[in-house]
Amino acid sequence: MAGAELEILKGITLEIKSGESVAIVGASGSGKSTLLGLLAGLDEPSGGRVVIGDTDLGQLDEDGRALFRGRHIGFVFQSFQLLPALTALENVMLPLELKGRGDAQAQAETFLERVQLGPRSGHYPSQLSGGEQQRVAIARAFATRPAILFADEPTGNLDTGTGAHIIDLLFELNREQGTTLVLVTHDMHLAGRCRRRLRLDAGALVAE
Amino acid sequence: MAMTAARMLARDWRGGELGILLMALVLAVGTVSGISAFTTRLQNALEQESHRFLAADIALRSARELPAAWLHEARQRGLQQALTLTFPSMVYAGEDNMYLASVKAVSDAYPLRGELTFSAQPFGAVQAAATGPRPGQVWLDSRLFALLDVAPGQRVTIGQARFRVAGAVRSEPDQGAGFFGYGPRVLMHYDDIPATGVVQPGSRVEYRQLYAGVAPALDAFRQWLQPRLGGAQTLLDVKDGQPGVGSALRRAERFLLLAGSLAVVLAGVAIALAARRFSERHNDYVAIMKSLGATSGAVNRLYGSSLLLLGCAATAAGCLLGWGMQALFFALFAGHLPVQPGPSGIRPYAIGSVTCMVCLLCFAWPPLRRLGRTSPLRVLRRDLPLENRRTLADYALGLGALGALMWWYSRDWKLTVAVLAGLGLTVLLGLGLALILLRGGRLVGMRAGSIWRLALAGLQRRGTANALQVVIFAMAIMLLLMLLLVRTSLIDAWQAQLPPDAPNHFIVNISPSEVQAVEQMLREAGVASEALYPMIRGRIMAINGVALSADQAPGPNGPEDAAGDDPGQERPGQRESNLTWSARVPPDNRLVAGQWWAPDTARALVSVERDFAERYGIVVEDTIGFLVGAQPLQAQVASIREVQWQSMRPNFFLVFPPRLLASYPATFMTSFHLGPGDKAFLNRFIRQFPTVTVIEMDVVVEQIRAIVEQVSAAIELVLAVILAAGALVLVAGVQASVDDRMRESAILRALGARRRLILGGLCIEFASLGLFAGALAVIAAELSVYILQSQVMDMHYAPSPWVWALGTACGTVLVAVLGVFSCRAAVSSPPLRVLREL
Repeated sequence: MAGAELEILKGITLEIKSGESVAIVGASGSGKSTLLGLLAGLDEPSGGRVVIGDTDLGQLDEDGRALFRGRHIGFVFQSFQLLPALTALENVMLPLELKGRGDAQAQAETFLERVQLGPRSGHYPSQLSGGEQQRVAIARAFATRPAILFADEPTGNLDTGTGAHIIDLLFELNREQGTTLVLVTHDMHLAGRCRRRLRLDAGALVAE
Repeated sequence: MAMTAARMLARDWRGGELGILLMALVLAVGTVSGISAFTTRLQNALEQESHRFLAADIALRSARELPAAWLHEARQRGLQQALTLTFPSMVYAGEDNMYLASVKAVSDAYPLRGELTFSAQPFGAVQAAATGPRPGQVWLDSRLFALLDVAPGQRVTIGQARFRVAGAVRSEPDQGAGFFGYGPRVLMHYDDIPATGVVQPGSRVEYRQLYAGVAPALDAFRQWLQPRLGGAQTLLDVKDGQPGVGSALRRAERFLLLAGSLAVVLAGVAIALAARRFSERHNDYVAIMKSLGATSGAVNRLYGSSLLLLGCAATAAGCLLGWGMQALFFALFAGHLPVQPGPSGIRPYAIGSVTCMVCLLCFAWPPLRRLGRTSPLRVLRRDLPLENRRTLADYALGLGALGALMWWYSRDWKLTVAVLAGLGLTVLLGLGLALILLRGGRLVGMRAGSIWRLALAGLQRRGTANALQVVIFAMAIMLLLMLLLVRTSLIDAWQAQLPPDAPNHFIVNISPSEVQAVEQMLREAGVASEALYPMIRGRIMAINGVALSADQAPGPNGPEDAAGDDPGQERPGQRESNLTWSARVPPDNRLVAGQWWAPDTARALVSVERDFAERYGIVVEDTIGFLVGAQPLQAQVASIREVQWQSMRPNFFLVFPPRLLASYPATFMTSFHLGPGDKAFLNRFIRQFPTVTVIEMDVVVEQIRAIVEQVSAAIELVLAVILAAGALVLVAGVQASVDDRMRESAILRALGARRRLILGGLCIEFASLGLFAGALAVIAAELSVYILQSQVMDMHYAPSPWVWALGTACGTVLVAVLGVFSCRAAVSSPPLRVLREL
């Protein structure tokens, strides 16, 4: 890779309205995850701007973006990204604690109940099935009541049945909380549930 | 934050990674404080033991009566005290029996340290004595009974006083202190001195004040005393108590400090390794937290306070471990250590705690601090490069911290520099190796075709990581080799210094007419002796025409400087000394400046012992003025010699060409070895040569040997502990790379690689790393040992070829075995489980 500059995303202009649900689809290597990382403020673009509400993410440093993420953004990942050393409950509590919420445990318990994992709150990720782990991740993502939820292939590591259940849960909570949902997937069934679908092709955005 | 940190620690504990770091820390604190406490207690014990040689903690020596005010001062400071006076005197028994004896008068409290023994009959059953003889009584050397033809209960006369012979004196703790006595010992009470009338102004006597007490009071008294000492008054400390013991103890102390310093280094390396692994494993953790909104400041605070909590826990557990370790040592080896261990105080544990905090700050914190910079993008892309690459600044910080810790621990910058030089060389060579490994790096792929190609490819692929690992292995092996080398040469030097047949008897005052007869008698009795050396009393008067002050009192014991002199006099003045002549450089002597003379030279030349020359500021080509008998003698300094005073052979400060001194009246001296069963020879010898003085040093030589044996045992013990610590670093070093290798091996297995291929490849890869590390370690160890021995231990350096074989062989085998053992799960568990668990 040395020497050659690689352009992953090319001239993307995209507006997502509050409360919208958007699916970004595309083949592997089309730049979906890169786009998601940029939108969520996990990465900095080499050119262009990402603005969420009134905030230009480019004007913030990494710590500023972290605070912004903590306040406004939730994530659900393909590989769940639960901390293996923490129980399900502790995993859900983590972002609440980072926000300094005094009622972290009560909130976390409420959301674990909501994803029907109340009885298993003391279990570690390794003691949970893939579907259960993703439910914990969903509880964690919604527990802070984020304005925007980013999901990266949320069903990618799950079988079809479990995946469908997770999708139901995701959209249910999304509806309840009025969250803006941006998800990246190549699962057409999942994409079909979103109000808007965008296709990424070799770094360029093509409307569906 | 502290609460969150505590919770995080508690949670992490369950994760398991924290355990490794904590264990390294606990081990570091434990090893450092344990060894420190052990050596402190041992040092105290050995010091106690060596106090025996002074019969006190400190002693003052002078040829004139010492001020009584000092005794008063000492009493006010709560110190115990005793007085001794030693002088040569004729002892008479009956009408015609007399003999020149070395009389020692002692006060009631003598000895303050050590044990005085006597027997009721000459050569009878030995008993411990609480005090010396009562006033009016004397104890005689066993041999004197025959020489004077007296029996216990009969009377002898010293000067104008008569004494009843109450027993035989068998051993005094400070026997060696008046090194060259005059003939056999007579012990009497201090209060009887005036009655004898033999001690007059100008008599050749040696007064001593002995003091003992607790360390702080002694130190304060010593400081009070120092400025009040006159030129002719000498303060004797433990380390001056006995030639041979002093240097043995000093070297042993250096060795133990060196060992402790190496423990600090090993601990630092282990902690750095564990912290690195900890931070590597926490990269994903931090990425998740950051994606959930944690700022780098919050991450740093979290890990900072975790580290602090961890440090506190590790310190407490480590101190406990250290305490247990040294207690175990003493329990295990109580039977082998004839000395009672002293208290250790809290310093060892303070050292352990500070070591822990410094290690955390300088070794654990840098990789953890960089965790704060982890990109949150890792939650989406796990293949992002880790943010925990060590920089040169990290290595500099680490080496700096190690240097500071070692200096604090040993208070010896030369020792610190010696170890750091070795470590620095290891790092440099390791970096060179990394460059070589990396050069062809990308050209070789996995190469799973054969064991050898797989291993070679593995070595190259992980170039940097492997070089780092080689450096770590090399460091551990180097430190161990270094310690082994120093320990071996130390013990060898002691044994060479005092071989079993080391001379333990001296004979002086042999007249020229007796030389042949003495030589013949020694030869016929099968006693191997050194050459006979002529001895002429002379007085050093001037250097380069400048007269020396006459204030210096003459030494009380005639030829004392033939075996050692009190160093440390501020302004040397005139002094009496023994002169000898020699056509060749005496054995055990080494020229350090100038040249030896032609055997038959007629020039007025002199060769001077090094310390003597330093004290008087004498250099080659200076002119020294002597007074020999009543005649002045000028001689030019031809050479400066280094002398092995501990060899127990006759040695002299001043040596002249034979023709220069031939016309002066001389007596001769020599030394020889007598086993315990051959002592009867002395009685025959003394009867045949009644004017010759025999000095028995066998008890002293045995005492020195006993001390040296204890110190050697201590050194072996400490070596064993450090070896264990070094092995742990090796394990930690292997562990550090296990994840990567396991992952690769699991993938290879999943693709169908045979068990033999994987294990063989791993074995060759680790063995090569071990071989590199061993070679590197040997080079660095030789450098360190060279600096240590020439600069710190005061020993001669000689390269040790056997270390090359040992270092490389041990490196190869140990690392290969540890590596394959650590990765064995890669072939014994299903590959999927291995991959999932990583």
